[in-house]
Amino acid sequence: MSSALLLVVGGLTAVGLYFLTGRSLSRVVLGYSLLGHAAVVALVVAGGSAGEAPIVGQAEPQDMSNPLPQALTLTAIVISFGLTLFLLALAKRQRVLSGDDLVEDDLEDRRIADPDAPPAPDDAGGADHAESEHPADAAAAGAVASGTEGT
Amino acid sequence: MIAGLLLGHGAVCLALALAGRRLGRRSLLIAAAPPAAATIWGVSRLGVDEPAQAHLVWAEGLDLAMTFRVDDFVEIMTLIVSGIGVAVFVYAYGYFTDDDGSVGRFAATLLAFSTAMLGLVWSDSVWSLFVFWEMTSVTSFLLVGHKNTDPGALVAARRALMVTGGGGLALLAGLLLVSHAADATLLSEIGPTEGASATVGAVLVMLAAATKSAQVPFHAWLPGAMVAPTPVSAYLHSATMVKAGVVLVAVLGPVLGALDAWKTLGLAFGIVSIVWGAVGALRQRDAKLILAWGTVSQLGLLITLFCVGTPKATLAAVTLLVSHALFKGALFLIVGEVDVRAGTRDIDQLGGLARSMPGACAAALLAGLSMAGVPPLLGFVAKETAIEATLALAGIELWLVGAGVIGGSVLTVAYTVRLLAGMFGSGPATPLRPHRSGLAAPSRVLALAGVAGYFALGPLEELIGPAAERLAADSVGHLHQWPGLTLGFWVSVAVLTLGAAGGMAAGRRLPSVPKGHAARLTDAVIDFTLVSGRELCARLQHGSLPVYLVTMATTVALAAVPFAVHLASDSDSFDHLIWWHSPLQAVVALAAVAASLGLAAVGTRLGAGLALGATGLSLAALFVIHGAADLALTQLLVEAAIVVGFVLAFGHLSRRFPQVGLRWRAVRMAVAGLGGAAVVAGLVAASHEPVAEPPLDEMATQAAEQGGGNNVVNVILTDIRALDTLGEVFVLAVVALGVLALARASRHGGSVHEADEVGEVGEVGETAGTGEAARGVAVARAAGAGDGSR
Repeated sequence: MSSALLLVVGGLTAVGLYFLTGRSLSRVVLGYSLLGHAAVVALVVAGGSAGEAPIVGQAEPQDMSNPLPQALTLTAIVISFGLTLFLLALAKRQRVLSGDDLVEDDLEDRRIADPDAPPAPDDAGGADHAESEHPADAAAAGAVASGTEGT
Repeated sequence: MIAGLLLGHGAVCLALALAGRRLGRRSLLIAAAPPAAATIWGVSRLGVDEPAQAHLVWAEGLDLAMTFRVDDFVEIMTLIVSGIGVAVFVYAYGYFTDDDGSVGRFAATLLAFSTAMLGLVWSDSVWSLFVFWEMTSVTSFLLVGHKNTDPGALVAARRALMVTGGGGLALLAGLLLVSHAADATLLSEIGPTEGASATVGAVLVMLAAATKSAQVPFHAWLPGAMVAPTPVSAYLHSATMVKAGVVLVAVLGPVLGALDAWKTLGLAFGIVSIVWGAVGALRQRDAKLILAWGTVSQLGLLITLFCVGTPKATLAAVTLLVSHALFKGALFLIVGEVDVRAGTRDIDQLGGLARSMPGACAAALLAGLSMAGVPPLLGFVAKETAIEATLALAGIELWLVGAGVIGGSVLTVAYTVRLLAGMFGSGPATPLRPHRSGLAAPSRVLALAGVAGYFALGPLEELIGPAAERLAADSVGHLHQWPGLTLGFWVSVAVLTLGAAGGMAAGRRLPSVPKGHAARLTDAVIDFTLVSGRELCARLQHGSLPVYLVTMATTVALAAVPFAVHLASDSDSFDHLIWWHSPLQAVVALAAVAASLGLAAVGTRLGAGLALGATGLSLAALFVIHGAADLALTQLLVEAAIVVGFVLAFGHLSRRFPQVGLRWRAVRMAVAGLGGAAVVAGLVAASHEPVAEPPLDEMATQAAEQGGGNNVVNVILTDIRALDTLGEVFVLAVVALGVLALARASRHGGSVHEADEVGEVGEVGETAGTGEAARGVAVARAAGAGDGSR
């Protein structure tokens, strides 16, 4: 098992997770895509060592790389591609509706803690992005939402 | 037959639930039919040695089955559950009036309880035991809360459900541990066990039994449950459901009795409950509450005797089980009858009923004296045997159990005398309402059964003896109508004298009714559970998606800890690692990681898109080096499409990503690093011991000869995984449709926005949307074509 490829798997997973936990939807999509890549490389790594392309006539069978994980991985690539595109479309839709691409807090969830809180307003303005656990994060998000949106 | 009876119960129950409203009071008589059938079946089995069994397989091969077994002891419980059930249904016919619209619902629920209780006592598999146990808790909740407009009833119902339901959870955990320790899931197959997990399991099972059988300090729900209609109190809360805990202790006693924890805990619950229950009964004025507290005391006595575990004590316990069902059932029914006719159950206000209700008075005397243990009644035999069994003990056990049993007996006599004197003794005669049919007969039958049991002790012993022997696994000796002038007899005389004197002296006027600290404490615990549950939920479900994701990623990463431990414990666990397959691979791998890290460093969206492309391209190069040409080709196509899509969707939004707080970023980085390490650890551990070499020769030959293609990967895709590949094409088609719909929707979505931005954003959205939609379809088609061409 190649440590170089393991490094790729670990690195892509880490960066992917970092993006996935962010507040910017476009970065979430990036993170998702990277996680998909990491999974693909992981499948290939698990399939065995490198070799010649598994094409009869161009290489001896014992020199070939394992074709079975490759066939499975192809599906994984294509499906994660489809999902990434769909996520992109969703993120864009969110931008059109709210003017930015930030992940908002679910105000209905907040009402579980405090049933008397007002229901979520229709206008998802900057202040509603505030998130109590991470004031710095929320303040920055709010500033971005109100300051830099639009083109 | 067992399954048929249970299904019959269930079917009638369902029919009553549907048609109960129209049937009204008659539904109670219909509901009496299934218990009557079960009683007849039980009687017909008397004298049959072979246990009846039924085995309903739920899932073949998974060892999931409903297993029922009716042996000598269960036979007695069957007769109690079904026999008292018939009496209670008939009684309820008189208790309710036709004006009450909820009678149908009541009949269906009570029959559902009856079904669950039969299932509980018949269960041999611990799993079906648990299911029916919980069913009795739920039906008890519904029955206690029957008057669903009365807030007091609702509080009491909630208390009963939380205490017995919580006990049910302990039961599940305990049964899991015990059945694991004994390596058997059938009660009839579980043998004596020892060890730590068996001990913990035994403690949990004993806790479950104590909650169900209302042992101190879990007893508060039982007096509270007295807000239920009297038929419920008589049936569930004296004769049957509260006995479930006792039955559990009885059945598991032979298995777990050798464990000190089981015996100590059981005796502690039992002895404290005997005394505290009887004291509670002495302090109440409400006749029903006196009986309820008395039940706590009697259940304590039963648990004590079963936990003592000597053959004599077991015999006494089984006898008491029978006589208690008879006399307590009868007393509850009579109190209910008095309540219906006199309009009150307060013994301060009642009086002089001996003349106006002679039948009830006679039956109450028979049942009450049986409870006090006066000959010639069955209760005397039970109490006498219990005292003899106690006196046969030695050491500290003699003193503790003796104090409980004998002290409890004195108090029992006292509260019985007080109850009977209060209801039927001298005093201004309470005015009565007219008699109702059905109200009187059941209690008279139960009370007379106590007398019959004494005089027909021989035949009765043929029922009780084998049951006790089955539990004690030993010869248990005999019951005596008249023990002779033994020490036990003199103790009995002393108990009766002291108790009667005490009861007379106490009279009706006792200091104020206790305030019910236990009930308030129980409610406080329940409230605290609910409040902290809500707070926990609010903390966990806070609405912030990033925090959810961080939580989940951390949890998943921690799942790799066993892998890491495995790697660390094995010295050769990294032997199968090499640095690289070729130096070029190392270089490209570094490039891929660098590109992804660059992705994190790039502040602009356009740059991020490009960095993503660079990562993807490096991967394609890695695939080429690895010898996976098809992967490389697909990766190239896909990456190009994603980069284009990303730039189209976000490239023009704003140049920079929002900056976030440093601390939160550090948390995210830590979690991300942990996740990456976890995946690597998992991979290294998983590939440590490869199962087999890939059959490369075989695959190559088969691909060329059978698949008719030289590219092995393509043959696998189109021949072996043809349907999967087709499904993949469908997925892409659906994605294309979804992308198209979402992009189109942007035309109408602008109105949500601020007024001054509508025009601008709307326009941009429209052009971009159309372009992207077209591109999305084209990309999907290209991918589909690429798929096909491989």
